[in-house]
Order: sequence, then C-alpha cells, then structure tokens
Amino acid sequence: MKKVLMGNEAVAYSLFINGVNVAVGYPGTPSTEVIETLKDFQDDDFYVEWSTNEKVALEVAAGASLAGARTVAAMKQVGLNVAADPLLSLSVVGVEGGLIVFVADDPGPHSSQTEQDTRNFARFCNLPVFDPSSPKEAFELIKPAFEISEKYKLPVLFRMTTRVCHSNQSVEFELKREKRKIKGFRKKPEWVILPALSYKKHMELEQKLQDMKKELSVYNKVEGKGKIGIVTGGVSYFYVKEAIKGFEDLFSILKITVAHPLDEELILEFVKDKEILIFIEELDPVLEEEVKLLLFENGRIISTYGKRNGYVPFAGELDVDKVKGIFYKVLSDKRFLMKNTFTDVLQIPKRQAQLCAGCPHRNSFLIVKYATKGQDVIFTGDIGCYTLGFAKPISTTDTCLCMGASITMAQGLKITDGSKKVIAFIGDSTFFHSGITGLVNSYYNRHNITICILDNLTTGMTGFQPHPGTGKKIYGEEGRKVSIESIVKGIGVEKVLVIDPYSDFTQNVDKVREFLNNDQLGVIVFRRECANLKSREGYFKINQNCLKCKVCLNVTGCPAIDEDENGNIFIDSVLCKGCGLCKNFCPYYAIEKVMENE
Amino acid sequence: MNDIIIAGIGGQGNILLSRVICQLFMNRGFDVKSAENIGMSQRGGSVVSYIRVGDEVGPIVPDGKADILIGLEMSEAARNVNKINKDSVVVLNNKFVRPKNSDLKKQEILNLIESNISKFYILNAYDIALELDMPKAENITMLTLICKKEIFPFSKEEIMTALKLVLSPQMYEMNKILVEKIYEKY
Ligand code: SF4
Ligand code: SF4
Repeated sequence: MKKVLMGNEAVAYSLFINGVNVAVGYPGTPSTEVIETLKDFQDDDFYVEWSTNEKVALEVAAGASLAGARTVAAMKQVGLNVAADPLLSLSVVGVEGGLIVFVADDPGPHSSQTEQDTRNFARFCNLPVFDPSSPKEAFELIKPAFEISEKYKLPVLFRMTTRVCHSNQSVEFELKREKRKIKGFRKKPEWVILPALSYKKHMELEQKLQDMKKELSVYNKVEGKGKIGIVTGGVSYFYVKEAIKGFEDLFSILKITVAHPLDEELILEFVKDKEILIFIEELDPVLEEEVKLLLFENGRIISTYGKRNGYVPFAGELDVDKVKGIFYKVLSDKRFLMKNTFTDVLQIPKRQAQLCAGCPHRNSFLIVKYATKGQDVIFTGDIGCYTLGFAKPISTTDTCLCMGASITMAQGLKITDGSKKVIAFIGDSTFFHSGITGLVNSYYNRHNITICILDNLTTGMTGFQPHPGTGKKIYGEEGRKVSIESIVKGIGVEKVLVIDPYSDFTQNVDKVREFLNNDQLGVIVFRRECANLKSREGYFKINQNCLKCKVCLNVTGCPAIDEDENGNIFIDSVLCKGCGLCKNFCPYYAIEKVMENE
Repeated sequence: MNDIIIAGIGGQGNILLSRVICQLFMNRGFDVKSAENIGMSQRGGSVVSYIRVGDEVGPIVPDGKADILIGLEMSEAARNVNKINKDSVVVLNNKFVRPKNSDLKKQEILNLIESNISKFYILNAYDIALELDMPKAENITMLTLICKKEIFPFSKEEIMTALKLVLSPQMYEMNKILVEKIYEKY
C-alpha cells in the first residue's frame, strides 16, 4: 500500500514490520510520534510503554534485548543526555537482540533547550549512527539498523532531525510483520560489567567499528562528476540537490548516511579529483572535522568551506535559500542569489506563545502570583507547557534549565539567597521523570523551598500521554496509579496542600498566602485536568457593562480574550473554556457566564 | 501546482488540511512531501505547512517558489509572503486575528496582497463554517471552497475520497455533510 507517513511514523511502521518486540520511550518533541504510532500496532509478541524517563526506557530496552528481543528506545536529543549513563555502558556490555536507540535532534531549535548533535554522541560512545534524509529513507534503514545491531551485538543509534521526523512523504510498503523466535535470557559472565572486562571489551569495540565500516558504507552514496565536492547528510542533502538545480555539472555530492564510523576509502576516492570541498550539514561540523582530519592524515591539501571557516552557520537549521547563499559566498556566482519578488513586506508582529485558553496552569500561576504580591520571590520553572509561565502577563517563571531542575535549582538559590522566598513549579509528568530525587534532596538537606506541582493529569506539551500519576497505561488500560501526595508525604514532607485551581480564586489566594507564611519545605499540588481534555459546561461573554479597561486581558493574557479594531473587548466563544478566571478581575461585573446550548 | 503553503494559527486545523491536500495529490498518483512549522503553543501560535509535489525535494518551500498560498488567517498569510512571487495564487480566509499588542490592520494586509498579486481570492470559510455549525471545520470549508471555485483542480468526489482516507469514520461523516452543503449552498 501507499501512504503518506510522517518521518516518525515511517520509523514506527518499519520497526513493527521488522519485528520489534519491545518499544519504550519518553515523549519529547520531535520524537514523540514514534511510540505514539507504535501503540496503534498490536501483536502477541509486541509490547509498548511510556516509561517514566529516558534512562528508565533504555534500561528496560536493554533488559529485553539481553533476552533476545528486538527493541527500540525512543527519545529526543536532550532525553539522550538522561539516558547517557546506560548507553555508554551498553556500548561496552553489548546487546543480544537488535537494539535501536532512536533520537530526534532539533536544529533550530524548534522545541528544545539545546542544539546538540547526536552524531557527536555516536562518536563519543563509539556506536554506529544512521542519519536518514527523508521519511522514505528512514523507513528503509530500520532493517539494516537491526541487522547491524544483532551482527555486532551493539546498540545502534538512529538519529533524525526535526525536518525528517516531522515531514511527511508518500511511502510504499506491505504491512507484513517479520516474526522472530526470541531465545530468552541466557546467563553469561559478560553481562556483568567489571573494570577488567571493560578494558577487554573496549578493544573489541574499536575492532568492531573497523569491521563494520565497509558494510555500512553501502548506505552512503556519490552523485555527479563536478569538480566542486559537496559533503552532506541528513535533510541537508535535499537542500543541496535543490540549490544546485541547473548547475549539476559543476558539482558532485557525497551523501553520508552513516555518519559514524566513516568509510575512509570512500571519502578519499571522492576527494581525489575535487578542486574544493563544501560541507553542508546542520548542527555540529561532524563530517567536516572527520574529513579534514582524514585529508591531513593523507597529506592532501584542498580548500574547504564549512562551519569552521564561517561559511556555514553554526547555529540554526539550513534550507535551500541558505545553502544557495553559501554557494554564492564560496563561488561569488550571482546565479545562486535568491530573488525575492515582493518589494514591500509588512512587519507582522510575532505571536507570542501562550498557555491555552482555560489552561489551569494560568489560574495556578496567578494564584501564587497574587498570594506573594509585594514579596521578594524567585520562581523557578521546568520543562513542559508551563514553561510558558515566563510569558507576559503571567511572568512567574525566572529560570528554566532541564527536566526536574526547578526543584534542585530552587535549593541552590535558597542556599545563596536565603532571604527570598523560592518557589519551584513542576508538572506532573516531569515530577515523575526527575523531580522526585530533587524533592528527596530538599527534604534530606533541609532546604526550605515551596514546590508547586502543576498536575493537569497528563503530559500536555507532547500530546496528552499518560504517566504514573494518571494510573493509565499507554492504551488507556489500567496500570497502577502513583499518588503524588503519597510520594511527597512518604518522603517525610508534612506541609502539603491540594488545590483545585478552577475553584474560588480569592479563597485559593488566601490559602496559598497562609501556606507560604512560615518558611519551611512545603508542597502544593494544583490539580485540574488539562483544558484540552475536558469539554466545557459553558463559556463566558462580555456584556454591556464593559468599560474597556482591559484588566481582564492584561492580567490573564487568556488567548480567548481580545480587543477588536475599535477597541471593544470580546471573548471568542469557540476558544473560551469557561474556566471563569477572567471574571475575577473585572471591576465592572462585565463578564458573565453562558451555559452551553443557550 | 507543485509547491503549496498553508498559513494559519494553532487550532485552525492547518495540519489536518495539509494531510488532506497531500492525499488529494497522492490519489492522482503523485509523490508528495510535506512539513509543518509548529509554534510552541497548542493554540494561538503561528503554524505553517508546506506541501511539495515531487519526491526529490526537501520539505521546506524555498523563498519565492510557492505556487499557491492558502491563508487560514490573514496576518499569518502576510507573514509568509517571502515564499510567494507575483505569479502565485493567494487565497485568504476572511479572518483576521490580530497578533496581541500590535496595531496591525486588516486593510494593510489586503493592500499588500492586492498591490502585488493579481490572482487573489478572499473566501468566507470561517463564517460559512460557523453558519453550518461546525466552527472547527474552517479548514475543510476552505478546501471545499477552493476546489469549488476551481482554484484547485479537484472534484467533490475526490475531496470525499481523500477525507475518507485521512479522517476517522466519525469525523468523516460530519465533514461529508459539510462538503455536500457547501457545494449546494455557497
Ligand atoms: S473564562 Fe475567561 S480566562 Fe477562562 S477560558 Fe474563558 S476567556 Fe479565558
Ligand atoms: S475587565 Fe471588565 S470592563 Fe475591563 S475590559 Fe475586561 S470586561 Fe471590560
């Protein structure tokens, strides 16, 4: 059949067709859809779950692999940092059943804290890495990735970037699953990593990388005969193809699909008759550095253009126009300049990212903001929708670093700037991911901070995945529910408050103010289902009492409230979730409720 | 028409519309590629979809290359004019959601497009979707109108086939009625 598949979906389909037995991951843009798609497949020898974090996921996958199962652990690039510990050890210990570590990188970045490059991670942990250019290619490369993993008994990294993960392409395939017999776990001394063994295994690992080079190199390819050599990989390959349209004779392309280990022979053969080399790659200059080193080692002197000499930008993603610009800079050939036919372009103001209309986090932030009015407070934030708490007019997020760091950074701030109140905000899924250890630390070391757990009963940012706090498993079936309050109390924290952020605003403000009165470790759980998961009872509208003071708009920043071209304030009846927050701030009683179907 | 851009704001069903258009081309036997530029917020942020007919291209439409720009919201369409040229077709939904804290006017956008583009249409997709009691379906309303006005070369039957393949059965039933009504009434 032929179907339009998103890059991540193509990976999922191919994983299933190629007999993956265990698929685990933690959601994170742009990787989420791999597990989301896999969950729609079912078979008696296939298991899929959302794990509490990436380290947990990879370790579950490793266990299954040792028993001979084909496995995948899926995550985004910053998730790989969390899973780095087991990954580096696995490269030494090795695997049994094919293990693919799927990692989505995010040049741009569109939805991440960093622009790190997983190809560099592959060099760092001595593992092979596939770097497909399109959904179709990703689909085709899963099979060899499993085979290489099984043949060399090593995990294989499968790295894609946002533009491959999230682009769609028509792919042709037959939905027929390859069934394999799983041997089960066999005891072997080499599964226990000890220093002496580690040394021996490291030598083996280096040898394995040498051995697999030729075999992997069949996925690289050379195109064209021109004297200007372009070395590229990933989605940049297509940008190059398009940029040189009409000038194909001048160029030849070396497309690197396996970025590590690199096949030296292929590269040396490619550069033989080239006059110059241009490196077109996103994120780190991985190909550029490897190829240059190789040229040096082989006594070749040739002009190169890439990131290292400023011709290709280090930050951000590439596109056809940027690549054309690079060719222009290198060749000073005006034909590569793009022409923009629009003479005057309007400056369209940016649309600032906002919490959704009716988002309970908006209420929670404002409750805390009002309860601490006039006090010197530091608010630490975390990773999730609620990072948007930094945006105006909410402005209750002063720091954001990585998953779980709101709680731990708050402690560092409290140690050094103790006269201030420090309040940490963390989401429910993030709390389970890596907030718990921070909470243990603050209890143990007597750090007197306040932790607000914004529990919207889902993983909102990545598309409503379940987590331990929901008690639902990946298919919505019953798991066991982990209660946030029990964890908090179980650790020993005595001061705990649970609040419904939708309930009476003034009362909530009073409760929180009182709670914050004495400076001791405390946890407030704000609990209310994500606004996108529940249908509303009614919505609000603005009546004739409105004096256009704009307080409702300016205090809440709710996207459903807006001002028209004549300065009239209105509430979008489709967008409004009827949370009632705005009503609290209108001095003229101009905001009234309309029940659904009235 | 090889390169298509859909610009709008989160919540308008931009991405679903892009999927349906991909399916329309695929059903005619073309290879398609598409990509989205999604903002961080689920609602209210800028969303752009690129659709490219053909296999050997990257997912992003280069500057000045788009053959048609579909604006689900006007200021988002204006934000993407760098992707079109004077021969491109521009189709705008008659809906303007001013970016907050700006004094951008609808008329400024219309002036910009009118003075540069000759093949230019304004459609009332939002109002029609509201009238038909499906405010969330302005995306499919827009598509149906575009096809009905023969800006896009697809028939009613082709729309139905594509919708059936992309939507869930329940969503399909609702949208089927919508498409029928639009062909009858507007
Ligand atoms: S009630 Fe007010 S604050 Fe709540 S969603 Fe509606 S407009 Fe926004
Ligand atoms: S706060 Fe009340 S009076 Fe002021 S703009 Fe909003 S609805 Fe109108």
